[in-house]
Amino acid sequence: MSTKPTSFLVFINGSIENAEVNDYDELYLRFSYVIGKDWEICSGLDEGTTQIAHKSVQVGSKIVFNFPLEVTFRATNPFGWPQLVLSGYGLDTFGNDVVRGYGTTHIPINPGRHRVRIPLFTPRSSSRFQQFLGWIMGRRPEFVDPKVVAFNAGREMTRVRSHGYVQVVFNVVTKDMDALGYRIQSKHALPTGSKQSENTDSAQADNHYS
Amino acid sequence: MAEVHVIGQIVGGSGFPESSLFCKWKVQMGSAWRVLQGDQEGQTQVDDPSDEPMANWCHPIDLHFATKGLQGWPKFHLQVWHQDAYGRNELYSYGFCHIPVSPGYHELDCVTWRPKGTLIEELKTQFIGGSSQLKNPDLVSSSAELYKLRTVSMGKVHLRLHIIVRDFEKYGVEF
Repeated sequence: MSTKPTSFLVFINGSIENAEVNDYDELYLRFSYVIGKDWEICSGLDEGTTQIAHKSVQVGSKIVFNFPLEVTFRATNPFGWPQLVLSGYGLDTFGNDVVRGYGTTHIPINPGRHRVRIPLFTPRSSSRFQQFLGWIMGRRPEFVDPKVVAFNAGREMTRVRSHGYVQVVFNVVTKDMDALGYRIQSKHALPTGSKQSENTDSAQADNHYS
Repeated sequence: MAEVHVIGQIVGGSGFPESSLFCKWKVQMGSAWRVLQGDQEGQTQVDDPSDEPMANWCHPIDLHFATKGLQGWPKFHLQVWHQDAYGRNELYSYGFCHIPVSPGYHELDCVTWRPKGTLIEELKTQFIGGSSQLKNPDLVSSSAELYKLRTVSMGKVHLRLHIIVRDFEKYGVEF
């Protein structure tokens, strides 16, 4: 007696590893997931905040978070596949909490371990004067709702400056996608030790997306 | 009907003469295809990177197609535009790129080009700005008519796409 499943599960664990930034020394990140209407979170936190992390004194040091992520999604339709939305904040020279960048990526679809390098960007002020005011008063332009970076609509109105990256590691397992008829890998797929990419790199232990 | 999901991002563009770029994208497909869910076109944010040569757009793409046949497999039509310090937009280049045919993760570099004008037009572009544009942007992926054009290479647009397919085995299609 086998009943056909009606939904599939996507199980993610991993961590927000580090941030590579040049201009400042400390950062904390808020993360959340943006999912479609055919999706729900079965377990795990759907949003949270990392610790406030500083760089070490070594030159070229990254800001290390090592922050755990663990979440399980249930869905009936791959449309609306979850996206991890990050927003970074830190203190400026005057001691104000300012936004340091937003970033987003889709959770990888293929089972396995994936390392994703997410660019961070901040909205730009409309004019030099506004930029100066923002710097003085510690009120820089920010998005009212960080989740807007995960959507298509309205993006043409935003002007941003990108600066820095956040590295996140995802381990992905899916359940019942095959039973529902979804194929996420071709028959002649390369083993998970290498990536399908037009730039041939040496095979590494995890799939690297930069 | 077989289904195809395209989930990913237009990550950014590199190799262009200046930064402060944005990308207009559109999905073009044959008559056997239909978009069930997702936006078929859009425009990314304008990014002016502070220290990287690549403009980062990180624009999400989430499309759900249904199809009766393989012909007319969808493709992206891309236009890269430049926004200068005064807020004027000028077209930098055109490009097109087929959505990958095999399920899985793909990193794509879409090369782009712009139409080349006469000597006077090129000088105007250099000093005043603006650029020659195609009257019909759909020409970008029409193999029959591109012979009429003279073009200049421009930079690349980088995409990361995951493709999920469903029910193609019922029609005998192998991936």
